[in-house]
Amino acid sequence: MSSADPKVKHGAGLSLLASELRILFGRRRTWAMLAAVALIPILLAVALRLTSAGVEPGQGPPFLDRVTQNGLFVSFTAMVVAIPLFLPLTVGVVAGDTLAGEASHGTLRYLLVAPAGRLRLLIVKFAGAIAFCIAATLTLVVAGTIIGALLFPVGPVTLLSGDVISVPESAVRALLVAAYVSLSLLGLSAIGLFISSLTSVPVGAMAATVVVSVVSQILGALPQLEWLHPWLFTDTWLGFSGLLSQPMDGTAFGANAVLQGGYAAVFFALAYSRFTTKDILS
Amino acid sequence: MSRSSRKWLPAIVVPALVVGGIALVPLSAGASVDLPDKTADEVLQLIASSTEDSFSGTVEKNADLGLPTLPEGMPGAGETIGSAFEMLSGSHEARVFVNGSENVRVQITDQLAERNAILNATDAWLYDSETNVATHVAIPADARDAMRDKVTDAAGAVTPAELAERFLNELGPSTSFSVGTDATVAGRTVYELVLTPKASDTLAESVSIAVDSETGLPLQVSVHADGQEDAAFSVGFTSIDLAEPSADLFTFAPGDGVTVEEKPFPSAPSDTDYSDKRSEDVDPGEKPRVIGTGWDAIVEVSMRTAGGDAEADPLLDQLTTKVDGGRVFSTTLVTVLLTDDGRVLAGSVPLERLQAAAAEG
Repeated sequence: MSSADPKVKHGAGLSLLASELRILFGRRRTWAMLAAVALIPILLAVALRLTSAGVEPGQGPPFLDRVTQNGLFVSFTAMVVAIPLFLPLTVGVVAGDTLAGEASHGTLRYLLVAPAGRLRLLIVKFAGAIAFCIAATLTLVVAGTIIGALLFPVGPVTLLSGDVISVPESAVRALLVAAYVSLSLLGLSAIGLFISSLTSVPVGAMAATVVVSVVSQILGALPQLEWLHPWLFTDTWLGFSGLLSQPMDGTAFGANAVLQGGYAAVFFALAYSRFTTKDILS
Repeated sequence: MSRSSRKWLPAIVVPALVVGGIALVPLSAGASVDLPDKTADEVLQLIASSTEDSFSGTVEKNADLGLPTLPEGMPGAGETIGSAFEMLSGSHEARVFVNGSENVRVQITDQLAERNAILNATDAWLYDSETNVATHVAIPADARDAMRDKVTDAAGAVTPAELAERFLNELGPSTSFSVGTDATVAGRTVYELVLTPKASDTLAESVSIAVDSETGLPLQVSVHADGQEDAAFSVGFTSIDLAEPSADLFTFAPGDGVTVEEKPFPSAPSDTDYSDKRSEDVDPGEKPRVIGTGWDAIVEVSMRTAGGDAEADPLLDQLTTKVDGGRVFSTTLVTVLLTDDGRVLAGSVPLERLQAAAAEG
């Protein structure tokens, strides 16, 4: 950390990030998870296409009844379906693996031999987890849009407010929702990074991260704990309806950013303190 | 300090900063405000002279009436009772857009759903995203003209000062007016007009109206119940923008796949007989009877007028408690007595007053 030449430091960080992303997205496991994420909209659309019975409004997940009239709704429905369990599951696997995975492979100490510094390694690992969150939500949107366009008619989209927007405008909204969902996963990624710094058993860290997200959602469902709800990182996960309203309401986006930023700051700091004081034995 | 304990500093400092930051933000928002003093009469004139008729904002409603919370989708809860309860308990948020006296749009947002009400010069629309149904009412031109005339008549006939005076005269005997502490609502400085009942026997302690110091727009109304610290009921802006909202918000064209239901325009009530219109389908003898005046007035209606066979509703059975002479439903602001002989008495008064009135009647 006391390197005198900032240019060298900068370059080392970038190349570390590049190699981290290369490893992350070079893994078969990552691609398998992204493929599984893509399967959600595909299964949903195919199932709807094959059943002749129409879906009543208000039945099933939100927007499900719209899908048969407009394929662009597939990605919105898939997003809502994937948020509570599936996305946290995949993010838990990636974030839980960050440090514990290297430790279990015995590669962590080699990473630290290079003059990169533990803080920079931590930042790179966190950035890798965030990159996966973005990739996962984009996969959902892109796969949903493609399969929706293939199986169903595509046309102007009716927003939650009842107003109709054009197809290009709806693509912008879908990307905004994807950005919102990616941002929502920031807090969980930081929690996963922290848990991963506690152990050298990656499976334990992955499971613990997923359990944290499930527990938080259960607490969020209990009306008796209403005072606690605004403090839960899962509280804003489904709060993107403002982005599907006319005029667009960005206040929820800001609130989500504050909440996730707070969680990320706290757990990144905890991970930093834990990781920099840890004896790296493997 | 040792090297390793210094590395634990971020783990303590960052959470402390985050929590501290969250704790400080509301404090700075509640900083004290000092506006030039105004009397209650002047604040009333300020409201009456308000010309602000185009704005958009978020309105929040909070109710703490001491009602039991109903579990969602409770079986047996009638649709009407359920939705009435929804509005009377908990907190709700809506976005409101107003442009002139004719264009209004209200959006009630739920999680991943929205209910919209759009009103313009020619049409009224209701859209519910959950059922994907749009209800349309075309407003006939003559009804619109009549309404417009009435509005301009009312607005043109009196000056703000006269309107304020009329209001004071009307309520003066039962209510004392005062100006409370200046504050901020939705980021704007407000005068607080406080209406306190002169009657001592009422459950309502006071009603306060927050009036924007610049535009005279009432920004918040809250009703306080006797012996309750927080407002029992309040409706107010949490944010407001005085810019004119875009005109296309007030037109509505249902998209593909939306079920459109046409409803006829309700026949316009004639000028004078509002009261007859309301009780058209009720026997003349069953009109609501008002006992007393002012804040502690009691309203009495017969059970049949109030909504049929209420006894049979299991929900009603749960909500009310048995007392001498009937069943009582009480909130912090209103007490309702359902007598055994089929009358309903309601008022912002303690139960004993209702029982006494029931015994007399």
